[in-house]
Amino acid sequence: MAEGFRLRVCFRKSGRLRYLSHLETGRAWERAARRARLPYAVSQGFTPRMRLAFGPALPVGTAGEREYLDITLTRFVPVAEVERALRAAIVSDLGPVACGYVSPAEGSLASRLTIAVYEIEIEGGSPQQEIERSLVALMGTGRLEVEHKGKQKVFDLATALPKEPEVTSSEGRITVRMWVRMGDQGSLRPEVFITAAVGTGRVASITRTDLLIEDDQGWRRPL
Amino acid sequence: MAVRVTSDLWPRVERLLGRIERPSRYVDGEWGVLRRPDAAYRVALMYPDTYEVGMANQALQVLAARLATIDDVATERVFLPWVDMAGLMREEGVPLFTLESCMPVAAVDLLGVTLSNELTYTNVLEALDLAGIPLRASDRGEAHPLVIGGGPSAHNPEPMAPFFDAILVGDGEDAVLEIVAAHRVSKARGASREETVRALASIEGVYVPSLYAPGPGGRMVASDPAPPRVRRRVLADLDAYPAPACPVVPYADVVHDRATVEVLRGCSRGCRFCQAGMVYRPVRERPADSIVRDVVEGLACTGFEEVSLTSLSTADHSQLESVLRRLVGRLEGTGTAISVPSLRVDSFTVPLARLLGDGRKSGLTFAPEAGSQRLRDAINKNITEEEIVTAVDQAFTAGWRRVKLYFMIGLPTETDDDVRAIGALVERVFSAAREATPKAERGGLRVAVSVSTFVPKAHTPFQWDAQLPFDEVRRRQALLRDAMPRRGVELSFHDAESSLLEAVLARGGREVADGIEAAWRAGARFDAWSEQFELRRWIEAFDSVGIDARIAAARPYGFDEPLPWAHIDSGLSEAFLRLERDRTEVATTTPDCTFDDCTGCGVCPGLGVDIAIAEGERRG
Repeated sequence: MAEGFRLRVCFRKSGRLRYLSHLETGRAWERAARRARLPYAVSQGFTPRMRLAFGPALPVGTAGEREYLDITLTRFVPVAEVERALRAAIVSDLGPVACGYVSPAEGSLASRLTIAVYEIEIEGGSPQQEIERSLVALMGTGRLEVEHKGKQKVFDLATALPKEPEVTSSEGRITVRMWVRMGDQGSLRPEVFITAAVGTGRVASITRTDLLIEDDQGWRRPL
Repeated sequence: MAVRVTSDLWPRVERLLGRIERPSRYVDGEWGVLRRPDAAYRVALMYPDTYEVGMANQALQVLAARLATIDDVATERVFLPWVDMAGLMREEGVPLFTLESCMPVAAVDLLGVTLSNELTYTNVLEALDLAGIPLRASDRGEAHPLVIGGGPSAHNPEPMAPFFDAILVGDGEDAVLEIVAAHRVSKARGASREETVRALASIEGVYVPSLYAPGPGGRMVASDPAPPRVRRRVLADLDAYPAPACPVVPYADVVHDRATVEVLRGCSRGCRFCQAGMVYRPVRERPADSIVRDVVEGLACTGFEEVSLTSLSTADHSQLESVLRRLVGRLEGTGTAISVPSLRVDSFTVPLARLLGDGRKSGLTFAPEAGSQRLRDAINKNITEEEIVTAVDQAFTAGWRRVKLYFMIGLPTETDDDVRAIGALVERVFSAAREATPKAERGGLRVAVSVSTFVPKAHTPFQWDAQLPFDEVRRRQALLRDAMPRRGVELSFHDAESSLLEAVLARGGREVADGIEAAWRAGARFDAWSEQFELRRWIEAFDSVGIDARIAAARPYGFDEPLPWAHIDSGLSEAFLRLERDRTEVATTTPDCTFDDCTGCGVCPGLGVDIAIAEGERRG
């Protein structure tokens, strides 16, 4: 169904609300759209639902700086007006970052967003160089075996992490930035990679800072 | 002005969240949260169960909205952490905290606790212990919050009496403000805890357990200034109290995840087993205009996709059809559903079926309670088999495909024939549903039958009755299983073991409190959760304090015996309850005074209130 206006909302999931599940975040946004009195489209059928679609799920406890949802509107509302209405209708920890219209013909967020950028804050007091060496060493092995829910899975690191992780340090805090490819085969969880490289109990916090579309021209934001 | 201790526990709470289920229960930050960091007086309102269960409680929303009208009072929510979280909190020394400011519950001025049902009693003790507040009121010092209970179970307060400084009996809208005002006056005067509770005792509806002690013959006797009997608090005009327009909107999938507007309070259909129908009299309807206004405002402020028109018997509202017609018009095209809780089959009409069917179709629930006409008459259910079958036919013709039927076994005067009659009635309902459903859609047809065990309750005509002995409950359940149609019916039984416990707790006296505490010390909590409930633990706990739980549940009270709740005046006259019990034996019904003449229950003259019907003096 391509009729209507496809509004894309970039929003954050921050502070305490990073503990919400994907389902809970979805419910929060659906209710925000109602409170904002957006002219949302409702699906046909026995149980009419708001037409709302989300990008890839964020794990419970992981913050997000630029998460996405698409909502179908029945009439055009200027972007500035939408932003104003949404900002007033949702708590700031889940607030909108940007809004814009996209072509109704474009593929779904879940299928188009294939690159996730993470920032992982490391605790435990090792110097930056030591962390860097551990990451380079692990990347050098080329592959990582992961056990998830009793199942063994092997990631080819060059494919799973399309860019070398970067380590930065500021005011005694060490942060690793990772670019993770998402696909049908699942994606490598950043904390699994970090743990394999530097040992358990070192991840202080994880933030997904960006979600990107990968196409012929390279990587770009969906909005 | 006193310096407030509001240490923020959040950093310590947060460290636990990665190690437990459903962290969103503990994070706060929902839409609609009211914060008053600088308030001079802090109230914590606690529902003693998980966030998901407690957030559905309307009374807490109502009380929070009432307290919000006082500028310098902050109200914070408290729920009982699930066992995983409670275990970690004990390990790490994190006390029970409020959601809004994540402060220790022990640091608030007043802790209000909902006593919604008996199976949450150990949760109250668990919460007090996690908070570091002494379990017994007599052990609390000047620095501890006042612990005040209220809710349906307050009508027999004795089993929980030692754990509370005061218990409110009846409607809380005004009383909560009076309690807070009295406490603030006490604090300003530097009054002692004892002086404070004595002041509370003069507020109508407030029971202060420490001012009552068993007298000769076992009757509870008041000491000055407490009244000999605590008169139930009752609001004369419900319309003076709008439904909370902007309650907190949860993220988690809570039990009743929708907006709610109370359309009426009280029910005088007079079902003889039903405590709510006795203790919330008289019927007070809110006018259609107010209901529509509150629904529209509530949905706009919360963004909920469903609104429930709640009450003990919503279809009895004299203007329900017009309310629904107006709401259906207002909500068209918004994907918003309107629902009503369980309906009486005799108020379920074709227009009603159509109007409710316009929203999203949730299942319908009817409660025939008994299978035979004789027993339905004996319990004063006042519905016929024809009415049940007609209602089902109308619902399925209007498009419903699922119906749930509630029954009870073990009601006074029940025979084996009555039990078998449930099977026969379900068979007829199933056939009617099938007939009314087009052939192609019959695959989705569901008739669910839920059967609970009768628990005698205080302030009802059955308050003197025993619960069936446990083995007999099991025998009748088996009898019913055999009598049920084999096809298309989903039969489920409410756990008979927890019903036994409910019976002990619902009709016990103050001696039962020791058993509750012993059970909690032995690990009982979340007793309403079947995976947590263990009857054996309770039986042993009661044993240890000299109570045989099985005997206590199955013991009738004599008409001349003082009842443990005799000092609580619900407004019902004992003569009325006795007469109703007598009529049970001969299966004679009593009409509803909102449709018919006064039945002389005693509430209106006794409590100085009157029936309030939105459209005229009588319904129908």
